Amino acid sequence: MQGTGVFQGDSDDLTALKAGDSDAWRVVLVRYGPSLLAYATRLLGDRASGEEITQDSLVNIYRTIDRFDGRCSLKSWLYRAVHNRAIDEIRRRKRYVDVGDTGLEDYFNGGGRWRHDCLGWDGLAAKQLDDKRLLGRVQEQMGRLPHAHREVLLLKEVEGLDSAEICAALEISPGNLRLRIHRARAALRAAVVEA
Amino acid sequence: MVYIKCRDVVAKISDIIDHEANLMTRMRFYGHIMMCKNCRRYFDQFKEVHALAGKVTADDLPPDFEQVMGAVMDEIEGHKDA
Repeated sequence: MQGTGVFQGDSDDLTALKAGDSDAWRVVLVRYGPSLLAYATRLLGDRASGEEITQDSLVNIYRTIDRFDGRCSLKSWLYRAVHNRAIDEIRRRKRYVDVGDTGLEDYFNGGGRWRHDCLGWDGLAAKQLDDKRLLGRVQEQMGRLPHAHREVLLLKEVEGLDSAEICAALEISPGNLRLRIHRARAALRAAVVEA
Repeated sequence: MVYIKCRDVVAKISDIIDHEANLMTRMRFYGHIMMCKNCRRYFDQFKEVHALAGKVTADDLPPDFEQVMGAVMDEIEGHKDA
């Protein structure tokens, strides 16, 4: 179901889903449920909220499956539903933090060269931290990023969606996605390396 | 080869990592990286953090899958029976 960004499952699958076939729905939940739950949990920052939002979203998807027109993959549609519901919840809590640029301009002078030496570890220093500690640091900092950065990193790096799927899930253009991915990665690098 | 500034190198790193940069951009990028210690260090850090981010999995968050999905299935099956 990857690649073109449109629904490529058997049309019988979609027909079965729209008919409310519980076996067809069970297949969908087994295939995508764990990833959707993990995504919601990481985006919201706590397990209970992740479970609640995922449950609500999936029930709502079931109730509104007739609206799915197959113009994107079912996977993207599922992520979009969970994502939108999670963002609504974050906004309701007034915790959603949008982001501007990466702050990278501070690194460079008017001529586009480094204003100061690039900070943080070099290759040797990185190897002095064992992989597990380093991975823990990345996980920790990823959880602290603004939501707008966290959502694209989770979908791209953790959930492994391709660009077309992410664009469909977040309803953004490929150009916007590339920019957001780069800004999010730069923010994560700064958080991990310069912290 | 047209000179590329440090600021532009940093802006192109994701395109390089995602194999979305064209040949000329890659040549300019790596040509600059060879010569510039700061960009080389930034690129190494960026790649390392990117690689580690790809290793972040849901394994440390074992969701109670059966319970959560069971509630959804109850709704689906209950709705069908209704």
